[in-house]
Amino acid sequence: MLNYLLRRLLLMVPTLLGITLVVFVVMAAAPGGISAQTLVDGMELEPQSRKALEDYYNKLYGLDQPAPVQYLRWLNNISPVGFERNVDGTLGSFSLWKGSDLGTSFRYGRAVTDLLAERLPITLLLNLISIPLIYALAVGIGVQAARDRGGRFDVSSNIFLLGLWSVPSMLAGVLFIGFFASEQYWRWFPTGGLMRRETASETFLPLFASFTDVLIAVGCVAVLTLLFMQLLSRLSTSNRQWLGVVIGAGLGYMMALNLYGQWFGVLHIVLMLLLALLMRSLCNLQNLSLRLAIAGSLGLGLGLGLAAQLGVTFLQNGYLLDRIWHLVLPIIALSYGGLAFLAKLTRSSLLENLAANYARTARAKGVDEESVLWRHVFRNSLLPLITVSATLLPSLLAGSVIIESIFSIDGMGKLAVEAVQTRDRELVLSVTLISGLLTLFGYLMADIAYALVDPRVSYD
Amino acid sequence: MTEQTLSNQQIQRSKPWSQQVLVALLKRNSARIGLLWIGILVVIATFSPFLASSHPLYMVVDGQISSPLLMHMSAQDWVWLAAFIFTLVLFKWSRPVWQKLLFWLGLVAVSAVVANVLASPPTLIIYEQYREMQAAGELDKVMYAPIPYSAKDYLRDYANTGVEAPLEATERTHWLGTDENGADVASRMIHASRIALGIGFIATGIALVIGTIIGGLMGYFSGIVDIIGMRLVEIFEAIPTLFLLLSFVAFFGRSIYMMMVIIGITAWSGYARYVRAEFLKLRQQDFVQAAVACGLPLRSILFRHMLPNGLAPLLVATSFGVASAILAEATLSFLGLGLIDDPSWGQLLNQAVQSSTFNWWLAVFPGGAIFMTVFAYNLLGEALRDAVDPHTNRNRQA
Repeated sequence: MLNYLLRRLLLMVPTLLGITLVVFVVMAAAPGGISAQTLVDGMELEPQSRKALEDYYNKLYGLDQPAPVQYLRWLNNISPVGFERNVDGTLGSFSLWKGSDLGTSFRYGRAVTDLLAERLPITLLLNLISIPLIYALAVGIGVQAARDRGGRFDVSSNIFLLGLWSVPSMLAGVLFIGFFASEQYWRWFPTGGLMRRETASETFLPLFASFTDVLIAVGCVAVLTLLFMQLLSRLSTSNRQWLGVVIGAGLGYMMALNLYGQWFGVLHIVLMLLLALLMRSLCNLQNLSLRLAIAGSLGLGLGLGLAAQLGVTFLQNGYLLDRIWHLVLPIIALSYGGLAFLAKLTRSSLLENLAANYARTARAKGVDEESVLWRHVFRNSLLPLITVSATLLPSLLAGSVIIESIFSIDGMGKLAVEAVQTRDRELVLSVTLISGLLTLFGYLMADIAYALVDPRVSYD
Repeated sequence: MTEQTLSNQQIQRSKPWSQQVLVALLKRNSARIGLLWIGILVVIATFSPFLASSHPLYMVVDGQISSPLLMHMSAQDWVWLAAFIFTLVLFKWSRPVWQKLLFWLGLVAVSAVVANVLASPPTLIIYEQYREMQAAGELDKVMYAPIPYSAKDYLRDYANTGVEAPLEATERTHWLGTDENGADVASRMIHASRIALGIGFIATGIALVIGTIIGGLMGYFSGIVDIIGMRLVEIFEAIPTLFLLLSFVAFFGRSIYMMMVIIGITAWSGYARYVRAEFLKLRQQDFVQAAVACGLPLRSILFRHMLPNGLAPLLVATSFGVASAILAEATLSFLGLGLIDDPSWGQLLNQAVQSSTFNWWLAVFPGGAIFMTVFAYNLLGEALRDAVDPHTNRNRQA
């Protein structure tokens, strides 16, 4: 295993070199390319000072040298072993521990390492919240669809998931911002960013006026959540549907009221009907865990609303709530595509295994269907999900480029767009390097997980 | 067994594979819906100058009949028309598919040359002249296209044009509103359908050719070629595609053809993988060994004998690939790296949240068009996967 790991890690090096080389060739071969002129362009300068600035840039970044030399110099800079670099740009003596340096961004005038240290955690935060969410929901939906093969849930969820998969994430982002964040419609969420400025000086948890307020708020949430969970797990199917219709119609009415302030209108009816249908089908789900998840989120939302109605006021929202509040829309927009894809994959993988000989043997022995599914089939069906997890991270990184631009979150995706638009050589190469590294790391993790889960796979 | 049933069976068995797949495909509702939407798009893209144009289809001035619309048709418009007609004609021609395809490509190339030589639309286009002439009462008779605004007609003759909600303006009708420059959204969307379709087909075609050649060589030779090829594939898979696209477009300038090529050369790795896997399976089979023993040239072994047998997974991947190419173009345009003046769905979508207010018609209609197109190709891909999959076919018959 150790041997295998070492080999894989060493194989990463040529791949990473290849990636940066491709991107560097693109930049160097472009008309205009990267030169001191493009950096100085657009500045109002006298000829002498322009010339001086160009010379300065040329010396600092070696921009007047041939492209291959530039690439080798960059490689020398990032590799921990190599020639030391003097302040004036010339190469010094060979050193084994000079440390790697990603260089200085042209545009920001700051060390690229600092910029990345600032931006990368934000993108990783988005992705690390999305991945577990995607897996949990996708497995739930996929299992339910496979169990109900050819049934109503299976057919409708299949079409729905394919549709969801086809929705471009920029459309989802724009619609979310437009309808749920802009001032014209429901202003439930912030239009962008990751936190309000005031929050920086606030406490981590929300601050209440008094202890009774805390009790009321927690009590409301707990009571409603437990109530919904009880109702959704105990009631018969038709009763659940009616419950869903009532809840949906109520929510729809409140939404319309929130928007218009009138007591009744066409919009009220439309929204009530839409939400009633939605909640009816959600409550109709056969899968208990999916229903409980819905009950939990309903209880949380309505409980907080009820507490607010009872006069509980937040002195400060606190860092945690504020952050969650800012993350809701970007996370949904980032994760629904992967969710749809994984749910479909779970379904097909489960179906394949449910028809396998070992599942039939288990049934013939008299094992009940529930145990066949969870103890025999489910574990084996996890393998393709692990394989896909490797491709999930790159696609999420690409998705965060779009999502971060729409929601104006200062993450690495937005940095990448800015770097490319301003032809910031150092930044472009570093971002490529980091995202390539993350992608390769994802592939490696998937392969290791594969060996851990499947005893048939061994890398020795 | 009588002779009658025997011959029936033979007839059934001798149906070509492509026809079997087509029949199986057309049985599925999802494939029908997908094909229908793509068909509608093709018709709209082909006839877009006749559907939305500021130039009248037909007008009479001082007893003189003229058609400014035909006069203003560009070479590209004529090529689209010609390609559409060729497709209809060749569809009925009973020849192998690849021959028809080659012949079609040849015809389109010839017509492109002819159109570029012959068609000479005026370089200075004044969109508002007809409206002014009509207001002055100079036109005896006039007939406009269904949407009487061109994609780049910014309605300069009306004062203060800009973002307008659908049917908000009183003196003119914009069914889907106008964009921030004052151009008609419906017209821009109609003209943008060409970009979406063209990008989808050509970019995927390029990716398919590169992927098939590299993957085929990798699978056929294996060994060292395979190892080097796989590193290349891994490199291209590990570069975030969107990021590579961004840098290409940012550094090489914006042109529709450039974009097609770029999307094509970033998307080939998946096809190479599929073809390699198929060829690795096929190379041990007897018919390939026979072809090698006959001394056939490599080109013939790879593409005449092996490729048709490994086509199934490629077809499915192609359909999904077209969807993602369209999505890639829309994303680039959305991020402001697309075409500058030419209409594109992604660019319209971008305008929805650009101004201080949210313009829902700029989100819903172009976004809906992107969604519908991507969805259509995904539906088609899904149906195709079921149609070429021997397992589902067997289940269907059982």
